[in-house]
Amino acid sequence: MSSAMLTRPYSQAANAPNAVLELDSIMKEYAGKPPVRVLHDVNLRIAAGELVAIVGPSGSGKSTMMNIIGTLDRPTRGDVLIEGQSTASLSDAKLAGLRADRIGFVFQQFHLLSGISATDNVSTGLLYRGIKRSERARRSVRALEMVGLGHRVDHRPGQLSGGERQRVAIARALVGDPSIVLADEPTGNLDSKTSDEIVELMLELNDAGSTIVVITHDNELADRLPRSVRVLDGHIDSDTGANRTDTGANTGAQR
Amino acid sequence: MTTVTGYDHPKATRRSKRSSSRSRLRFIDLIATGLLGLTTRVGRTVLTAGGIAIGIASMVSVMGISSSSRADVLAELDRLGTNLLAVQPGNSLFGDEVTLPDNASARIRRIPATQNAASLTAVQADIVRSDVMPPGRNGGMQVSATEPQLLDTLAGTMTSGRFLTDLDRELPTVVLGSDAADFFGIRSVENRPTILIGEERFAVVGVMDSLVLYPDVDRMALIGYGVAEKLFDTKPAPSTVYLRADPEFVEPVREILGRTVDPESPNSVNITRPSESLSAKAEVNKNLTNMLLGLGAVALVVGGVGIANVMVISVLERRNEIGVRRALGATRRHIAAQFVVESATLATIGGAVGVGLGAAVTVFYAKSQEWTIDVPIESLGLGIAAALIIGALAGLYPAIRAARLDPAEAVRPA
Repeated sequence: MSSAMLTRPYSQAANAPNAVLELDSIMKEYAGKPPVRVLHDVNLRIAAGELVAIVGPSGSGKSTMMNIIGTLDRPTRGDVLIEGQSTASLSDAKLAGLRADRIGFVFQQFHLLSGISATDNVSTGLLYRGIKRSERARRSVRALEMVGLGHRVDHRPGQLSGGERQRVAIARALVGDPSIVLADEPTGNLDSKTSDEIVELMLELNDAGSTIVVITHDNELADRLPRSVRVLDGHIDSDTGANRTDTGANTGAQR
Repeated sequence: MTTVTGYDHPKATRRSKRSSSRSRLRFIDLIATGLLGLTTRVGRTVLTAGGIAIGIASMVSVMGISSSSRADVLAELDRLGTNLLAVQPGNSLFGDEVTLPDNASARIRRIPATQNAASLTAVQADIVRSDVMPPGRNGGMQVSATEPQLLDTLAGTMTSGRFLTDLDRELPTVVLGSDAADFFGIRSVENRPTILIGEERFAVVGVMDSLVLYPDVDRMALIGYGVAEKLFDTKPAPSTVYLRADPEFVEPVREILGRTVDPESPNSVNITRPSESLSAKAEVNKNLTNMLLGLGAVALVVGGVGIANVMVISVLERRNEIGVRRALGATRRHIAAQFVVESATLATIGGAVGVGLGAAVTVFYAKSQEWTIDVPIESLGLGIAAALIIGALAGLYPAIRAARLDPAEAVRPA
């Protein structure tokens, strides 16, 4: 593990000054009388190769932020740029295409399909890209090996432990080699030992080049990640990487 | 864990390829995804498909049973032909009963489009098996005088022996209809049976097969005109003349029959077409069939509503699955298509089972009724097609509901 840390490729982020993700003056309001404003003028840049925690207590607006980053929800005002591409004017189908291609999701409840094997579950991550089944299976096995589940490819979710299920979900998010992975409370349903393992896995995946955003209410977890963005009452309260984002550097090891 | 760093991460090459992201779902994957919902919920699939199966089975069996029941009637009709006409004396303008001219059948035979004709005349004579039987034990069997042409005209066949010939005209010989033969216990002429008509012993020279269209003839003992007149004072005026017309000229023949038989009062001649009653029978059968088909259709619609119900519930239960699929890049269309495929497949499974069941019921019932088995092939194809369409329609509303789910809402834990 430690050797992996030492070989972290700093150069990758430095070569990519363009943000993978950019939130540009995001405002989100839910209809009501009076309307509920959940996010006020949020600006955020995340560069390729970063591992970022978005942390905040429940009700802070972090879940809404995650949905907006993942294009599952649209902001009331402002724009989300994925790899520099504006999403404000994209149709629902185009957004789906963008998600299929560039965004991976990991959920707190894993959200695996119970009736099918780990490989088939991972393979749904490529289903909406029009890739052949055999190719999907091949890449899914590789992704499972990558998260340390090479020995569980034919197991069904019911036959796996919680940690293993979350690894399957992570493999599903990664199998399409997305620009950015969004993990919503990925350790929320796991015991502390398993949580540690999942955090370690995310650090390793980040070492290997994946850009990961973890949404969590857990400060301790956030502190272990290279950069943490604290959200409070609908705005960004602090950002440990704020002064570094303009150079786009990934400086997790310097923390 | 070292595998992580070994993972091929082609980020640099990827950029250029991703200029436009489009969500795509291959057709075969769409079908597989639709089937997944069924194979992971087998119990529900069986119960839901059962409704459709019952509807389709009832429709297929109604069609099969009715067409099997009609097959025999229609085959009989085909064999006997629809070109037979019966001429009988009617009433004159003043309500008096008229008689047909003695030579009516000969006149009819002169019409060019007539293939054959023969007259029948009731004979006032009692018939019994032998002189040890008390008079009157005739079981309603009727003695009639007729001409040798009758057999061909009615397209009749012999169970045993031969029909009357010109030589039998004056002789005490008799041919029995099938009911009459059964009643008197004479099924064969091998032992030279005789029968008592009036005071005279007649030799039974032939026994006829049953004539479905002319049950009257089945109950007759047929003798020649000469012997009938001599022994029983029978007037030669026919009570019925049967004629077989050229199939293409049945109606024209029918129109000139009255004038031909009785030029003085053509309207007092009754003309009927016995095959019409059989056609009517087949027709009545058809109406009943349509009614039963309607009931089957109702069952099918109920089955469809059942599917729609289950699919709506399924959409509610699978909110998270829908949300995840949306997050993984499924468009609204993909979600809707998945549920329509699932519902259509569900119904088609039911339809296939129903078609099999319906065919089995038809075969079983037709066998028990000793009918010719006739399962209409088109009803099988139609059954499956109907199920598929019903299923797709039933899935439409739930599919639209599924597609309209807000993805951010749907991924949230239930």
